[in-house]
Amino acid sequence: MSTQGGVQYSKIAEIKGPLVVVDGVESAAFDELVEIQTTEGERRLGKVLEVGNGKAIVQVFEGTTGLSISGTSAKFMGKMMEMPVSEEVLGRVFDGLGRPIDGLPDPIASKFLDINGEPMNPEQREYPRDFIQTGVSVIDGMLTLVRGQKLPIFSGSGMSHNILAAQIARQASVVGTTDEFAVVFAAIGVQYSEAEYFKRSLEESGALKRSVLFLNLADDPAIERIITPRVALTVAEYLAYDLGMHVLVILTDMTNYAEALREISAAREEVPGRKGYPGYLYTDLSTIYERAGRLHGRKGSVTQMPILTMPSDDITHPIPDLTGYITEGQIVLGRDLFRQGVYPPVNILMSLSRIMKDGIGEGKTRADHQEISNQNYDAYSRSQEVRALAGIVGKAGLTGVDLKYLEVGDSFEKDFLTQAVDENRTIEETLSLQWKVVSLLPKNELIKVKDKFIDQHYKER
Amino acid sequence: MGSDSAIERTVEKILHNTEEQILSSLKESLKSSQDALSNSHVSLEQEYDKIISEGKKEAEKLEKQIVGNADLASRNKQLVLIEESIEKVFVKAIKKIQDADRNSDYSKLISSMLKESIHTIGTPDITIQTNSKDKSVVQSLLSKFPGAILSQDVIDCLGGIKVQSKDGTMKFDNTIDARLERLKPLIRKDIASKFGR
Repeated sequence: MSTQGGVQYSKIAEIKGPLVVVDGVESAAFDELVEIQTTEGERRLGKVLEVGNGKAIVQVFEGTTGLSISGTSAKFMGKMMEMPVSEEVLGRVFDGLGRPIDGLPDPIASKFLDINGEPMNPEQREYPRDFIQTGVSVIDGMLTLVRGQKLPIFSGSGMSHNILAAQIARQASVVGTTDEFAVVFAAIGVQYSEAEYFKRSLEESGALKRSVLFLNLADDPAIERIITPRVALTVAEYLAYDLGMHVLVILTDMTNYAEALREISAAREEVPGRKGYPGYLYTDLSTIYERAGRLHGRKGSVTQMPILTMPSDDITHPIPDLTGYITEGQIVLGRDLFRQGVYPPVNILMSLSRIMKDGIGEGKTRADHQEISNQNYDAYSRSQEVRALAGIVGKAGLTGVDLKYLEVGDSFEKDFLTQAVDENRTIEETLSLQWKVVSLLPKNELIKVKDKFIDQHYKER
Repeated sequence: MGSDSAIERTVEKILHNTEEQILSSLKESLKSSQDALSNSHVSLEQEYDKIISEGKKEAEKLEKQIVGNADLASRNKQLVLIEESIEKVFVKAIKKIQDADRNSDYSKLISSMLKESIHTIGTPDITIQTNSKDKSVVQSLLSKFPGAILSQDVIDCLGGIKVQSKDGTMKFDNTIDARLERLKPLIRKDIASKFGR
């Protein structure tokens, strides 16, 4: 932390959207923290976006509403934005800029960390291998989350992604180890009722003790949303690499983050890219997502579950599209399943966890995990084809095996996929349910699993 | 006589057959009720295990909830108490600073503050503001800083100086209040460490 104060400039050349252009600036650094003081003495934080020709462009996090050219001054703080971190941040609730909003004092910091984090040395990265149990069958069974992975949830407006996010935050744990586990939850641009739901949900389940909440509300200035995921990840990195915890970071909703980025880009009059998002959207998103991982010689891990709502459920929209390039798979929520009242409405045929195979199996989950998961994929996929066929020729035109697949599809959605909001299933329960689903098929249809597993787990229904 | 024995044989045969039928159906009933009983044993055991495991899960959930919330509540109370103590230390320290003698050491401090301020603003042509107590100290140092002038306006602060460029576009707050504000997080940490945190 810098002990040196900064110079205050009172020559404001222009105020444009969320940006303030300060004139006559002698020395300022890129990303330097700036304190904007209004005529009424109100203080707002910002950061330097551009500097040169005696001018500095400052992005004001709390917005520029009410600022005027005369009477406004900008104090350059001589440091980057930092987050005070210590073990005491666990169980605390902060706003989108990392200030406490739970009525308790500022945490006594062990360290002050730059919110942009330190880039991970690629050579020092360790491949993610261990399983995180979320207690949600469809994720644990078929889209397994691995420590150090970044696995986004692609949702649509109005769907149950926030309920799912809260459930994961309450239930997630590491099994088979005594290592500590923590959840960092960053709500970006969410409604007040949703923020209250997240908070209450963690409090009532007793999970707040091992969680840190960052809440940026929908009516908070959009620009603050640029900071929220970064302060959350800074805390996560401290808990993981300094305190040796396994940290799950849930970021919801990254679409709001990208919207804020677009707002700034438009105010800076940058050449717009697809749908008006800046051309550097990919690079910017990667500076967030790439902060997930594990490091050689360090005990902890940072696992990310960013959640984003796809505008018009369009998976080719720039935000899910570019996110998909960076992350290691995706969990896609389906509108049809949601309409049918299925919770969680995960469309497994469009979902994938790319590094699941390395986090499951004997010694991690169970020896038959990969194979039974593949069999369920296969059977559910076939059931979808049969459903389509039944829509044309009717059930009477289907063969006996086809009818069995129809039953499998229903059982998959009813017994395996559907789960209560407060139901925390162990991995054994999840795998048993997967066997229950495929046990509707005759043995000779189980082509993805070895005979020894069939002998062990198959129970004809 | 002959016809009587034939009838008897027939009746006996019928009786025998009926007896066999009854016995076999009794055996079957016994077997099926035994099967039903053993099956219900299995399902009863499964149901029993399910109820026990759900009860266990619920108990663990409740325990986690109660212990977690109690831990958090006690930790939060501790945080509030520590903060109150830190505030008390701050109040005492500020009082001490306010009452400090404006001796030669203090003069050296003001001199270093002036040097730092000129370096930060980037020009020696500055206007200095201070409180009424420090005015004489600053005045005595002005000869060492050509280009610096002391403003007649006094400011309300614990000590130290505020400087600004002659055109008023650049300001630098180097008062003790501003320094305390800047260093407060570090000072809080030091004070808290005295309380064993």
